[in-house]
Amino acid sequence: MKLKRRKISYERKKKLYGYGFITIWLIGAIFLFLIPMVQSLIFSFSDVKIQMATQEITQTFVGFKNYENMLTKDPNFVKNLTTVLGQMLMDTPLIMVFSLFIAVILNQKFRGRTMVRAIFFLPVIVATGPVIKVINGDMLSQGITTGAKFSTLFEVNFVENILEYMGIMNVSADFAEWLSTVTSDIFNLVWNCGIQILLFLAALQGIPVSAKEAAKMEGATAWEFFWKITLPYITPIILASLIYTVVDSFTQYDNAVMTQVQSLSQQASYGPASAASWVFFIIVALCLAIVMLIVNKFVYYEVD
Amino acid sequence: MSEQVNNIATPLTRKQRKAADKLARKKNHVKGDKAYTIYLAKKALSSIVWPLFRFFILLGLCFVILYPLMYMISCAIRPQLQMSDPTVNWIPRSVIFTNFTDVIEIMEYWKALWTTLSVHCVSAVIQVGTTAITGYGFARFKFKGRGLLFGIVILSIIVPPQLILIPQFLQFRDFTFFGLTAPFGYSVSLYNTPWAMYVPALFANGIRSGLFILIFRQFFKGLPKELEDAAYLDGCGPLKTFIRVMVPNAGSAFLTVFLFSIVWYWNDTYTTTMFYSKGATVMMLVPQLSWKMTSVAERLPGSGGVALNYVVWIEAGALLAILPVLIMYIVLQKYFTEGIARSGLVG
Repeated sequence: MKLKRRKISYERKKKLYGYGFITIWLIGAIFLFLIPMVQSLIFSFSDVKIQMATQEITQTFVGFKNYENMLTKDPNFVKNLTTVLGQMLMDTPLIMVFSLFIAVILNQKFRGRTMVRAIFFLPVIVATGPVIKVINGDMLSQGITTGAKFSTLFEVNFVENILEYMGIMNVSADFAEWLSTVTSDIFNLVWNCGIQILLFLAALQGIPVSAKEAAKMEGATAWEFFWKITLPYITPIILASLIYTVVDSFTQYDNAVMTQVQSLSQQASYGPASAASWVFFIIVALCLAIVMLIVNKFVYYEVD
Repeated sequence: MSEQVNNIATPLTRKQRKAADKLARKKNHVKGDKAYTIYLAKKALSSIVWPLFRFFILLGLCFVILYPLMYMISCAIRPQLQMSDPTVNWIPRSVIFTNFTDVIEIMEYWKALWTTLSVHCVSAVIQVGTTAITGYGFARFKFKGRGLLFGIVILSIIVPPQLILIPQFLQFRDFTFFGLTAPFGYSVSLYNTPWAMYVPALFANGIRSGLFILIFRQFFKGLPKELEDAAYLDGCGPLKTFIRVMVPNAGSAFLTVFLFSIVWYWNDTYTTTMFYSKGATVMMLVPQLSWKMTSVAERLPGSGGVALNYVVWIEAGALLAILPVLIMYIVLQKYFTEGIARSGLVG
């Protein structure tokens, strides 16, 4: 009897300690996440004015006016939205397939593997900051002639030079252009895949050895092995990395909608800015829901 | 392709495999066995073709990744005039370091580096600690509302940061210590002070903290429960257990989160512009490089008032901006790339 009571108290203690461990985060989440979220929802339905002298904020409820303005009157918002959406739809499948392919390769044994892996994760370090703009040559695009020589690899010139060098220059201009688009696409692809490759690689390393051995015993070819063993095992991570890709492509700071919201809020027009970000968020959530609904059907969870 | 299966499936070394092959050949090979010869030929072909194919793919892609960095270095160490010299493409004819010293001087690099280290990197490290505690709480303790609260963590991952940025900004402008001092009408402005960066990190709500909580939760869930039970029997309280038993076992998760946290804080300009626009961090310098360096270049003697070839400065500046994280990554990458499987990235 005594023993039992002790055990219950241990369980209860653990419960309380559980709250203890998350308290720090909970305070932060309430005040820095949930309340701001509610507030921004309120902002989005109101006309927010800031008195310059006192910095006092006054809000008057205006209903859906901000949303209406954003969606019907603002000349850029819908355009930006469709650009970002289209970009996401185009990039996501490419990123997924490419990073899975690279992860499978990086999971094999070969000489210099550690170094190659280190190189492939390098974009994670560089690409999230403004340096990627320098690399892309964006900062020099404003009418500066010396910039033309810059980032030459992905200009048509360079590709043409290579073709010339290889002695196959007299192909049509269309082909050269197509090739240069492909090369610049590959550039973007490689530079945006770091995290996904990482996720897939971790997943591939988590495939149990027993499954590999069993497949080998049964005489599975590499092809069969990939489709019947590898793919089912990593479906949860496919889902996770799909979600990551979608979220990441939406929340990249340099995408059109993010930039617009930033400039709106710097002009202190908080109402429209909030409305814009809510519209954006709802679209993100919808996209995620659709992805989850479709992919979840194929996800295989191993039951222990 | 069969080479690949061999590699994955058998833990044998190459030498052992060769010996085994030889043995099998001796046993089975009858002269003139056509099917077997074809099999051997196929195997030899695939064991040559695939690694070769792989080698070229990896070589090409590594080139795509390294090219901009190499170009950056190549530009940063050449004298300006060699930028427009058609005979200089990759290797400059003379190596100089004045581009770096110019940028360091004009952009006040050391000051910016100190800001980044003392504000952003400190926040990043604090965030690692607080998210680890939170992740542990979610992984190991059962309490009411855990599912719901964890839902909030997930929500914080998918909500675009600009959605809550404005109210957060307003809150920091009149910071009432989470409403504690509001009844007394007392508030401080955290805007443009380092605390605007520290406070979210302290309360595990910094940049991408949701993701880190998720990683830690997944990782701690994977550790054996017996660890804690043993610690409990030995008279350890939960906090002590966490610090003395769990943290030392979570090296790879800590490394992963630490690296990401530092990198994302380091590269952040969005949050910094909103909350701490006064503090010019290293990354905030990068967009300014172009006009600041031009305005200086125009005043240089002999330039005729026209800035030419200041690309070298931009490249040097960009290189300086990523250099600290790059060095950190190069030091840590060995542990990082080999430890990802155990880092909690995968549940």
